[in-house]
Amino acid sequence: MALNYDFEWGLLLENPHKEWIIEGLAHTVGLSLTAWVIALIIGILIGTIRMTQSPLLRFIGTAYVEFFRNIPLLVQLFIWFFVFPLMLPNDLMFAWNRLPHVPLITALLALSLFTAARVAEHIRAGISSIPKGQFDAARSSGLTQVQMYRHVIIPYAFRVMIPTITSEFLTVFKNSALTLTIGVAEITGAAKAIEAWSFHGIEAYTVASVTYMTTTAIVVLFMSWLEHRLRIPGLIARK
Amino acid sequence: MSNLLVDVRELNLWYGKYKALDNINTSFTAGKCVVICGPSGSGKSSLLRCVNRLEEFQEGDVLFEGQSLRECTNIASLRSEIGMVFQHFELYPHMSILDNITLAPRYAKKKSKPDAEAHAYVLMERVGITDQALKYPAELSGGQQQRAAIARALALEPKLMLFDEPTSALDPEMIVEVLRVMRDLAMEGMAMLVVTHEMGFAREVSDEIIFMDEGKIIERKNTEDFFSNPNSKRVQDFLDRILVKI
Ligand SMILES: Nc1ncnc2c1ncn2[C@@H]1O[C@H](COP(=O)(O)OP(=O)(O)OP(=O)(O)O)[C@@H](O)[C@H]1O
Ligand SMILES: [Mg+2]
Repeated sequence: MALNYDFEWGLLLENPHKEWIIEGLAHTVGLSLTAWVIALIIGILIGTIRMTQSPLLRFIGTAYVEFFRNIPLLVQLFIWFFVFPLMLPNDLMFAWNRLPHVPLITALLALSLFTAARVAEHIRAGISSIPKGQFDAARSSGLTQVQMYRHVIIPYAFRVMIPTITSEFLTVFKNSALTLTIGVAEITGAAKAIEAWSFHGIEAYTVASVTYMTTTAIVVLFMSWLEHRLRIPGLIARK
Repeated sequence: MSNLLVDVRELNLWYGKYKALDNINTSFTAGKCVVICGPSGSGKSSLLRCVNRLEEFQEGDVLFEGQSLRECTNIASLRSEIGMVFQHFELYPHMSILDNITLAPRYAKKKSKPDAEAHAYVLMERVGITDQALKYPAELSGGQQQRAAIARALALEPKLMLFDEPTSALDPEMIVEVLRVMRDLAMEGMAMLVVTHEMGFAREVSDEIIFMDEGKIIERKNTEDFFSNPNSKRVQDFLDRILVKI
């Protein structure tokens, strides 16, 4: 059957296919990048409060991580999409449903919070790997907890963690394909639509695959550039 | 009496069940250099770390210029009056030497960046590392790193400097350059508490020596007396051992 397949690559440049592909590309890349950045911010925050001396903050941090890390992402997507609006008070629920792009916002929410839990765990490991003397030095010089984390601990941990943070992007990026299940027109969804519309699945899924591979390559290149730029002079490069 | 700087009162410290400091009563005055020595595990570091409350002691109190550390609600601000130097330097590896030195003045002491940097250059000059200002810690020799760490502590314009075995991680030729900086500091009248095994330094520079063992202060004497007639057998043994080593 594969032998009889009629390749028609030009098809991809015809509407509606072209429009779907462009929209899918924009959604996949935009959604993943935004979710990644939000996840980094929330993850650094949650990971850090888990390392502080306050039992309350530590509890909040642990609860967050355990909740978001232990429920499958697909289930979380459905919870945010189907259950969450129902739990809102009536007027809020109507307002929520009237928002433009509800699936997209839901997807962003779910992806960000899920990935943040993973980032938080990495941050915690990163902070634990910092020599205790660094904390002593910062505290003994009169920096407050917040100043110590802001200027000493997190920048240090961040450098150690660049490779992990990169791989988290690859994860969130591939996870974004799941959001087609709640109707986000991302690139896998677009490929699926093209296949259904024109029966040219091979071309369509090739486009999706190429999208994932090139975006991944660009991000990996950017991150290794960043790693090089933030390299601590004098330290032997880590593998 | 007016120059009493640190007053340690019935201080007890436990790590879990282990009692590391056992009813310490002592005091330190402005302008003096006091060396703390004693065998490993005797509580020297612990005592030093109680003076700026890096270690949270359970009983007793430490008064810094009459202010109780136990009751102090703004410990960060109190710590910024006390410089501390560590065995392993603990410079921030991701910052240049200049940034290492200006960090606490800028954020803990709210100095402007130009002021902090101007002062940093004065201090780097003083410890002899002006050429290293824009380098990173790992690009410096151990001796240079420790002198940078001393400059970083001095940038707080501290009333007291704490040194915890500042030369123990250094090669012999680098020990000298660090000790020289410390000696000059003592000559200028900086109040210093120095945990060290460098008995030559202790003899030449310090005003008084404290000998600790098993979490207690066994003996405290002015330097000359300490070496000429130590009255406890333990001090005598310790001195014999450590002086033979040198
Ligand atoms: N964080 C800690 N947790 C548990 N025990 C500790 C801790 N820090 C120190 N101790 C113990 O307390 C005792 C006193 O330690 P301290 O570091 O004050 O000794 P020291 O005189 O500085 O020794 P050294 O010359 O080896 O540095 C030691 O027996 C040590 O094992
Ligand atoms: Mg010690």
